[in-house]
Amino acid sequence: MRIFDNPNYDFIKYRWHATIFSLILIGIGLAVFLTRGVNLGIDFAGGANIVLKFRQDPPIAELRSKLPAATIQQYGAAKDNSVLIRLPQQKGEGDYAGAVVEQLHKDLNPEAAGKHDLNYLGSDRLAALLTQADPDNRGSNPAALEHYRATAKRIIDRRSELGIFTAIAQATQGLSSGAARVVNERAFIGDFNLLNQETVGPQVGGQLQKRAFWAIILSSLAMGIYIWLRFDFVFGVAAMICIVHDVLIAMTFLLLLNLEFSLNVVAAILTIVGYSVNDTVVTYDRVRENRRKIKKPMSLAEHLNLAMNQTLSRTILTAGTVFLVLLAMLAFGGEVIRGFSWILTIGVVSGTYSTLLIVPAVAVAWDNWQQRRRPAAAASRVEPTREVPSTPVRKRAS
Amino acid sequence: MNRNILWKVVVILAVLAVFTVAIIPTQNNPEPIKRGLDLKGGTQLVMKVNVNEASRLEVDQAANSLRTQAQAQNIPVPATRRISDMAFVATMPAGVGTGQYERIARDFLPSFDVAKAGNDLRFTIKSAALQTLHRDTVEQAKEAIDRRVNALGVTEPIIVTEGEDRINIQLPGVDDPARVKDIIKTTAQLQFRMVEGAAAPTAEAAYAAVPAAMREQVDILPMNDEDDMGRVTGTQFIPVNKNVPVSGRDLKNARVQKGRVGEPVIGFSFTPDGSPKFGELTGANINRQLAIVLDNKVVSAPNINSRIDGEGVIEGSFTQQQAADLSLVLRSGSLPASLTTLEERTVGPSLGRDSIRQGFMASAIGFALLVLAIIAYYRGAGVNAVLALLLNLIILLGMMAYFKAALTLPGIAGIVLTLGMAVDSNVLVFERIREEMREGKTVRASIDQGFSRAFATIIDTHLTTIISALFLFQFGTGPIKGFAVTLLIGLSASVFTAFFVSRMIFDIVYKPTDRPKELSI
Repeated sequence: MRIFDNPNYDFIKYRWHATIFSLILIGIGLAVFLTRGVNLGIDFAGGANIVLKFRQDPPIAELRSKLPAATIQQYGAAKDNSVLIRLPQQKGEGDYAGAVVEQLHKDLNPEAAGKHDLNYLGSDRLAALLTQADPDNRGSNPAALEHYRATAKRIIDRRSELGIFTAIAQATQGLSSGAARVVNERAFIGDFNLLNQETVGPQVGGQLQKRAFWAIILSSLAMGIYIWLRFDFVFGVAAMICIVHDVLIAMTFLLLLNLEFSLNVVAAILTIVGYSVNDTVVTYDRVRENRRKIKKPMSLAEHLNLAMNQTLSRTILTAGTVFLVLLAMLAFGGEVIRGFSWILTIGVVSGTYSTLLIVPAVAVAWDNWQQRRRPAAAASRVEPTREVPSTPVRKRAS
Repeated sequence: MNRNILWKVVVILAVLAVFTVAIIPTQNNPEPIKRGLDLKGGTQLVMKVNVNEASRLEVDQAANSLRTQAQAQNIPVPATRRISDMAFVATMPAGVGTGQYERIARDFLPSFDVAKAGNDLRFTIKSAALQTLHRDTVEQAKEAIDRRVNALGVTEPIIVTEGEDRINIQLPGVDDPARVKDIIKTTAQLQFRMVEGAAAPTAEAAYAAVPAAMREQVDILPMNDEDDMGRVTGTQFIPVNKNVPVSGRDLKNARVQKGRVGEPVIGFSFTPDGSPKFGELTGANINRQLAIVLDNKVVSAPNINSRIDGEGVIEGSFTQQQAADLSLVLRSGSLPASLTTLEERTVGPSLGRDSIRQGFMASAIGFALLVLAIIAYYRGAGVNAVLALLLNLIILLGMMAYFKAALTLPGIAGIVLTLGMAVDSNVLVFERIREEMREGKTVRASIDQGFSRAFATIIDTHLTTIISALFLFQFGTGPIKGFAVTLLIGLSASVFTAFFVSRMIFDIVYKPTDRPKELSI
């Protein structure tokens, strides 16, 4: 099977169209950024994220009235009965999310008084409860504690399997009649189960931001320098501009889809940068090889066009296979990696586009500018000095 | 099969064996590839140790010892006053020179700089001493946390110090984060102090009831009234002496016992040093109230009925769990300073289970699509690429098992994308072989040329990505780092499989001696 039979597209011809198209996209991104701002995740903005899974429909109105400062939205599918609560940065440091969850637990479970909430508490406290009541008459020794710990672990494991208990019978199923009685008497099924809670304090938030920023800048610079050393200064510059382009396009889509900007998204952006540079390197490599092989003089534009056509099948095929994998991640990967998958999927498309149209555009533009500058630069090298009024025109070292 | 190929086959099978062994779960190692907290569920905490508390204590102790030494040497006792977390000022009684005090400072307070200001002496902790103090405080806090976490039975906790005053705590598999956090954060500074007046409903009332002469020497501390479920029903305030004759440092052991009516109490015993101190204190204060103070709250204030040596009991209205937790923190030693949570991430076990199910499903489907696409496009050679890809995956997972690198969600993405790069290496080679064949070369020549021409390209693409991954690893945090690790391992494996494994399979299928005419590509 083959995708292309001796392709011969003139990519350079469309370089202005592509440049304008990209600039428009980036412009849109900038406009969204200026009007709406970027949706910073808690990694960078600080604050707290809480994901709760409810037994029934989440009491969103009640949550809103309890937490006026929070943004509350559905998490995952409607049938999951889950909500994401996002709390803004608070001034001091501290266990913000933990305190809020504990308060919510008290408010939403008025029947909790003195009873053990099977949906909220973990196996340790359940084990302690069982050990104290000792329904299986094991006495008080380490073996008894072990026995009840195993029982408690089984109950909590079942909860993890189900997501949340909706009836106490689910918890007591398979227990000894004594243990089941203790659970029925001393425990109850609370309204929610804590899926996820995160707090990022002001100090850490600022540091994460700084480190992510430097990770992007330095790794991009390192790639640019490597390409410069391995190939050509022009290519290094073009690759760097291509990286900036890809990051900006990814950010534009992030802004348009209103996805959260988090550490995971930074990792995703770095990946697409890696891919895009990878594509670019393949093209450069072909140019270098062709320059050695083909004796007749060719312009940079012609070289780039030839190399890109020669490697076109590979570019499309690789991007295509990665795209397939990403589609699977987007469709089946679940809520946690959704933002991550989106950025990668968009990035593979934009990375291929930038390799085929933006990189050559930049390289050719740079080359043309150099060509124009060279005679001009040579002419301006007539350096008037005080001692010797006129010096001969020095030839630029090439 | 010629020698050269045989040798390669042996190497590849050995590699395959080594890494396969690493990822097969065994009795002793049921989870060869560690799952990160996002997949397993658990809690990660970044805590700041408030080291200034330790230096404040050091300053107070120094001021105290200056006064005691003055008293012991029959010199007028100066008034001392803490002016910051690192310094205090001693004001000399009128008409007394500073010389004798400077001598005491030289002999007994070597870690303080002394500066003279009029009739005052200003004592500041030397910066080297301060640094050592901070480091020791963080180290002690880390050890105490370590003991507590182990006592809780958390499997494979990771506790490391970060920077100057931070401790990063990772607790995989914890299903009750609120409780674990409570236990970690309890400073557990236990003190035995004398009660100097009656309890009152407000702090002001308690203070007013203290005789005027004693007021300088007492702290008003809160004491909770609790019902038998351990719930707080009210708060009283009680004046206790500032002096701390016996503290948690003098404890040897603490455990839950049953009280007179079967209620849980905490029995404790003293160290050989602590025992006589406690005996002296209780012997001298029979029929007075002793306050048991935990983290600046009075837990209980029992009456001293007789002199107590060696052992004692803390009664309070504890539930079984509270008593167990309290004895645990007392046993594991107090924290030298309080902790502040800077960052906390908890993944509940349900979400972890969902994530891994979905992550696995997405990866499996993605991988299947990848395999189908390659075989459809390259047919025979596609099978070759898929074999190389599988080996790549085994090496990647095996390396992670050997390095004990945790598999996280971004890590799964990293793996999938590394496989993309590995496919790319094969695609580069195969496209090159096709090109050579189009130019009319023989099958063998095309294969040889294809591999050697693609070599430089593949090295370049991999090196660029490896360089950027190194920077990500160095500067990234959390997810970025996890991603970089899988990328680095995967890329190294990909170079190996593309050049060694794919090449060898071609060499076996299309033996040079057979002069093959057709190539399935």
